Amino acid sequence: MPIRVALVDDHCLIRDALSDLIASRGEVDVVAVGGDGAEAVRIASEDRPDVLLLDIALPDGSGLELIDRILASSPATRVLMLSMHSDPAYAVTARKRGASGLISKSAPIEDLLDAIRDVASGDTIPAVDELAKRERQMLTLIAQGATNDEIASALHLRPKTVETYSQQLMTKLSVHTRAGLVGCARRMQL
Amino acid sequence: MAIRVVLADDHDLVRTCIHTLLASHGIEVVSEVGDGRALLREVREHEPDIALVDVSMPLLDGIEATRRIAKSSTTTRVVILTMHPDAHLARLARRAGAYGYVTKDETSDRLVETIERVVAGEQCISLGDPIEDVLTTREHEILQLIAEGKRNQEIAEIISRSVHTVRNHRARLMRKLGARSASELVRSAEEQGLLRWPM
Repeated sequence: MPIRVALVDDHCLIRDALSDLIASRGEVDVVAVGGDGAEAVRIASEDRPDVLLLDIALPDGSGLELIDRILASSPATRVLMLSMHSDPAYAVTARKRGASGLISKSAPIEDLLDAIRDVASGDTIPAVDELAKRERQMLTLIAQGATNDEIASALHLRPKTVETYSQQLMTKLSVHTRAGLVGCARRMQL
Repeated sequence: MAIRVVLADDHDLVRTCIHTLLASHGIEVVSEVGDGRALLREVREHEPDIALVDVSMPLLDGIEATRRIAKSSTTTRVVILTMHPDAHLARLARRAGAYGYVTKDETSDRLVETIERVVAGEQCISLGDPIEDVLTTREHEILQLIAEGKRNQEIAEIISRSVHTVRNHRARLMRKLGARSASELVRSAEEQGLLRWPM
C-alpha cells in the first residue's frame, strides 16, 4: 500500500512541484497539500496522513511550534520537517518536539524519499553534528564581537580553552577565519 | 524550438522541483548549478536563452551574477527566482540587468509566463524610485567572500586578482562600514542589510 503523505510549504512553486515529484515515484500518495500552519493542523486531523512533510518557515509561525498539536490530533502521523537552513540545531529541536526528523532542502530528492520511507516504517532520523552547548554560546559571543579574553571571562573559561573551542568551531563549520564564524552565526540566526 | 534555461539555486531539492516543473512545460533545463560562480561558467558554456537565478547563493550572490551576465552575454537574459517578495531587491535586480523577478510563492504558470515574455524581449520588472548603492560591485563580491570565511589569498584566487588588490578593497570596506576587524565588518554589513546570501 502506498504511503499517504501530506505536504505543507508556503511556497506554491515548491509545493506543487514537490508533490508531483514524490507522487511520481509510485510508492507515495500525496493526500493533501497546504500553505500555512493552520492548514497543517487541519490536514493532520482530517486526513490523518502517514507522513506529514512540514516546512519550518511558514507565514503564520514556525512549523516547529505545530508538532505538538499535529501529534495530539493524529498520533499515528510521523512529522518530517523540511528546512532551508542546514543548521543542525533545527534538527535537534525538531526531534525534541516529537518530529521524526528533518530534511534540508539542500538534500537531493532521493534523500527525501528515503526519509519518507524510513519514518513511515517507524524509524527516526537522528540529528547529527549538533554543536555543543558551549560551542553555541561561544559562537553567539563571537558574533557579538567579543574577544577571546572577554569570552573567557563571560563563560568562566581559560583563554587557552576558548582558543581551542574556536578552532573546533571553525573545523566543524568549515571556515578558516573568525569573520567566517560571524557569517555562520548569522546564517544560523544565533 | 524549446526555450533553454540554466538554473541556479543552492538548494538541491528546490532545484529538482523547478527543473521538473519547467520540463513539464516544455522548457529545457540545459544545466543546474548551486553557486553564483558556477552559474557564470555554465552561462558562458551553454549560452541559454534564460538564466533562472536565486538571489542567495554561495561564492557570488544572484544580483552580482546577474550584473556580469548582463554585461558579458548578448544571448542570455536573467530571471530572478527568490523567496523574497521585496520591491527593493527587485529594483536592484533590474538595475543589475535582470528582466524578470518571480517569487517562489507564485504559481508555476506565472513563472513560465514570465520566462516566455522575457524570451520575447519584454522587461518584466518595473523600476521604482532610484536607490543608492553603498558598496561597489567589487566590494559586494569581496564582502560576501569575507563573510564566508575565505582568507585574502583564497579571495584573490576566486576573483582572479592580486592579494594586494583584495587587501585594498578590504581596507576600503572596513572604512566605509566603520569596522576595525573582519568580524566587525561582517557584523556591521549584516546590520545594514548588505549581505544578500544564503538564507
